[in-house]
Amino acid sequence: MMKEALNVKNLSFEFKKDNEILTDISFNLAEGEILGILGPSGIGKSSLLRLIAGLEKPKSGEISHYDQILSGRNTFVLPHKRGIGLVLQEKVLFPHLNSLENVKFGVKGNKAKKDAQAKKYLKLLKAEEFSQSYPNSLSGGEQQRVAIARALAPEPKTVLLDEPFSSLDTNLREELRNDAKALFKKTNTSCIIVTHELEEARVFCDRIFRLEKGSIKLVTI
Amino acid sequence: MSLINFSVKNLWPFLITIFLLILLAPIFFVLISLFGEYNENWSHLYNYVLSKYLLNSFFLILGVSILSIILGVGSAWLITNYDFVNKAWLEWAVILPLAVPPYILAYTFTGLFDSYGTANEIIRIIFDTKDNYIFFPNVRNIYGAIIVFSFTLYPYIYLTTRMAFLNQSRSLMEAGTLMGLNSWSLFYKLAIPLIRPALIAGLALVIMETISDFGAVEHFAVQTFTTGIFRTWFGMYDLNTAMQLSSLLLIFIAFFVVLERTERNKMSYTYSNSTFRKTDSKKLKGLKSICAFLFCFTPLFVGFILPIIELTNWAIFFPSENFFSENVIYSFFNTIWLGISAGIICTMFALFINFLKRFDEDFFLNSSSQLLALGYALPGLVLAVGIIQFFSFLDDYFIRYFLKISLVGSLIGLIIAYTIKAYALANNTIESGFKRISSSIDDASLSLKGSKFSIFYRIHMPLLKTSILTSLLLVISEVIKELPATLILRPFNFDTLAVSTYIYASEERMYEAASPAMLIVLVGLIPIFFLSRIIRDSRPGNL
Repeated sequence: MMKEALNVKNLSFEFKKDNEILTDISFNLAEGEILGILGPSGIGKSSLLRLIAGLEKPKSGEISHYDQILSGRNTFVLPHKRGIGLVLQEKVLFPHLNSLENVKFGVKGNKAKKDAQAKKYLKLLKAEEFSQSYPNSLSGGEQQRVAIARALAPEPKTVLLDEPFSSLDTNLREELRNDAKALFKKTNTSCIIVTHELEEARVFCDRIFRLEKGSIKLVTI
Repeated sequence: MSLINFSVKNLWPFLITIFLLILLAPIFFVLISLFGEYNENWSHLYNYVLSKYLLNSFFLILGVSILSIILGVGSAWLITNYDFVNKAWLEWAVILPLAVPPYILAYTFTGLFDSYGTANEIIRIIFDTKDNYIFFPNVRNIYGAIIVFSFTLYPYIYLTTRMAFLNQSRSLMEAGTLMGLNSWSLFYKLAIPLIRPALIAGLALVIMETISDFGAVEHFAVQTFTTGIFRTWFGMYDLNTAMQLSSLLLIFIAFFVVLERTERNKMSYTYSNSTFRKTDSKKLKGLKSICAFLFCFTPLFVGFILPIIELTNWAIFFPSENFFSENVIYSFFNTIWLGISAGIICTMFALFINFLKRFDEDFFLNSSSQLLALGYALPGLVLAVGIIQFFSFLDDYFIRYFLKISLVGSLIGLIIAYTIKAYALANNTIESGFKRISSSIDDASLSLKGSKFSIFYRIHMPLLKTSILTSLLLVISEVIKELPATLILRPFNFDTLAVSTYIYASEERMYEAASPAMLIVLVGLIPIFFLSRIIRDSRPGNL
């Protein structure tokens, strides 16, 4: 039986009082599994990822990661202590740091370890050739490669991807998707990807959920 | 890390409250005087002088408003809609008069146009007339004051209305043309009503600067509220009545602050991004082109080139007090020292408040920031009155008991006054700097490194370098120009460039006033540089 990586139980969230975005959401994620979350715009897909990443606090419910409660009734673990990486749709590389420095940013340890770790992940994402380049000189695809390397470099057990390929053209998207999937499988990293494209979810994910108003349903692939 | 978050989270409301109380206390002391006792000086003022102050202020505001609108809106309309000779450099050069404080233009005007001033001398030489022939009329009156204020402050109206004209879609103008409107009708029936909020916002700034001024009206012997406050305080030695006059001025100013804010919020209706088509410039030829050039060049010449020529003439040809004289160097370093101190305080506080606002949309934080940003509208003289009263209260009841020193006459009052006056400049700059950093960058940083302090230090600070430098420079340039508060709050024998200029000019030693005045204008060019960049980037069609 596969080990459970993430468990979300009866999760509810509201931006403002009496304006609930997510209601009573429950699901789990196995170790090394890639889970897709589909749904229309504004339904709360990104909010769900932000809750898991610790960027928002839930109204109620519980999120646990490898049996450690991250968000619960009296518990809230800070984002960087959750062991969860995050890649966003927007270009969010730090513009004043080059690719290598960006990837090193979240790695803990001495300088040599940081360097080695950052170079390793840049190489795995086929981004080592532009390790000294600054974000403004990189294409959209190259920036996303560095962003994924940056999320993986601290070696999180789980990675959250918020529509990471949506701004790329078709060929580039397919190439980066394949590279990312191979890397997740190779490192046995669990992953949740939010997307609005069923086709992308079918190719990339092991399981797909559809998020609808107030509930989450499994989609057969 | 969490310890830092915890302490900052609990400390910031306390720090901000203390800062707010210090900054608001002077205003509180001024306003509360309205409910105090009214002595015989007040009765004298009320019966004999107050109506004169009111009438003069009203006439001054009316004259300055009309002339500034003509100069500001006219230049903005011509530069936005027409191509004429030398337009390329006039587009940014017409805002240069903003670098010249009204009191410096007033000093150069009297030097130029007095009976034996440079301009009349030149006329006498050219036309070989008698020694007592006077061509230019006396400028030391309310008409001279109207000209001085209009030619130095019209760029406020130029800036706001030009942005509004730039944002007007060509489709709207074409619709007007299809309905049979000619160029003139398009201007006053369509373009002007559409830019009305921008015009009122700019005009409110002009009026606030006019009624807050002390140096120019005092030099031209025009009795207004500010000269009245000064005379009541230093002539009658009656601080209480001076404060009561200040409260009236403050209420008057508050009206224009509200007007400016309201109209600025309405400015968005002047264009719609979704249907924006930029307006093409129409080419003017021959006499029309020269007339358009002269219309835009004249205010620039009167408000900037003429005073610079006269100041240079005084500074170079009568170098009794040149740039390197001991007094000018001493005043310069005092001014820069004060400017840097106020710049650091304003910038640090703006960084602190805007950083906290980024993570927590707190009502207290937002309203504190907005309240602090209103300080720019406070007249320096009113601030000085309030700070003196506030410090006297602290000295009498607290400070002297514990420290055996006096706050009145210390540099602390000056720093507080500058911080109140210039905080809005720092806040606007830092706020827009923060807005340019995507909130997703914060999310990415938080998921990698937990401490907000670390994000501030490693991500925000490097990205805000330009904004921080801009903020420092803007505050310094504001401090260098400030006269009334500096004049009153400075410690004994502590001169700044503005004070030196004022003292020399009030003793009619114009040649000696030239060097410090030139330095003030040169530093005043710093914000102009940034404003010209804003103008360049302001057309939505260019985004």
